[in-house]
Amino acid sequence: MCDACGCQTHTHDHDHGHGHSQTHDDSVIVEINRSLFAANDAMARSNREHFDEERIVVLNLISSPGSGKTTLLEHTIDRIGSEIKIGVIEGDIETERDAERIRAKGVPAIQLTTGGACHLDASMIHRGFHQLQKEPGGNSIDLLVIENVGNLVCPATFDLGEHTRVVLVSVPEGPDKPAKYPKAFTSSQLFLITKTDLLPYFDFEVAEARKEALSLNPSLQVMDFSATTGEGFEVWLDYLRELVREKKGK
Amino acid sequence: MHEMSLVQGLLQQLRELASEHNTSRILKVTMVIGPLSGVVVDSFKFGFEVLTKQDELVQDAELEIVIPEVGYRCSACQNLQKTAGERPHQCAACGDTLLIAEEGNDLILQQVEME
Repeated sequence: MCDACGCQTHTHDHDHGHGHSQTHDDSVIVEINRSLFAANDAMARSNREHFDEERIVVLNLISSPGSGKTTLLEHTIDRIGSEIKIGVIEGDIETERDAERIRAKGVPAIQLTTGGACHLDASMIHRGFHQLQKEPGGNSIDLLVIENVGNLVCPATFDLGEHTRVVLVSVPEGPDKPAKYPKAFTSSQLFLITKTDLLPYFDFEVAEARKEALSLNPSLQVMDFSATTGEGFEVWLDYLRELVREKKGK
Repeated sequence: MHEMSLVQGLLQQLRELASEHNTSRILKVTMVIGPLSGVVVDSFKFGFEVLTKQDELVQDAELEIVIPEVGYRCSACQNLQKTAGERPHQCAACGDTLLIAEEGNDLILQQVEME
């Protein structure tokens, strides 16, 4: 920060008749101390209460574009869609494509297109959830998966009301994502390393990625698997089964 | 660039404050931006600069940004280590590596000066 030159306190030109270094005459200083996240956080809390009342487990999936979030969902639906009722809210800047892929699996899905915004927020999820409930089968789900906009930066700042935030990194992306995008990993509860069938072709050490992530967030749970070959996938499916069982109180 | 939508939220709060205090001009806004808040200070400033131009209430408002330190608490000996944001590799007192960030996530509208 430019403490020395003072640019921190002068963000634009002041050609309006008085210098800001002087005290303002007749001005009032009001102490506010209110978080800018307050409105989103309040909406997220109310979403979470609503999900709890309906006994729905909610996951917020975040990753870079192309990490395999939608593919993970497709394979998850194929494997446990008959035992757990899944619903999906897809977030993308444009197009209905991801929601169409999920609907093709016979699962209720709605698409939120942000029209340029880089993340979903709690009020979009509030509206999206009500929209999802109107879809066939959308009114009786056990597990809601929110696929956030592909971006490891902005989604990490917005609570949507989810119970678990899941961050994905695929093998081709390299193991240094935790170090480069710490907030996504410090704010998540589960870290999935995906596309492990590609390990022979990429310079990716699962142990290294795991270690980097745990040094940032020691309570992070880590799993690695390939959704396409199914190797290691059962751990993820058991994890979902357990979450749903707990929420249903069975 | 979620900073743009955060600045929009800030302007909304400022409009509400202005009508509460019956003022038509805001002179200065003081924000606290924690190093772990996920907010890029330069992007926030840029958003403020662009969006305030469109609104007479805040057109001339000065933006002051306070960046607090982050405290990392050692989970073994409870020692608190303050840094500019970066995570210490280990506790300075006992050498343990399990350190939990206690603050630094904040994005707070601290103070508003108005006419």
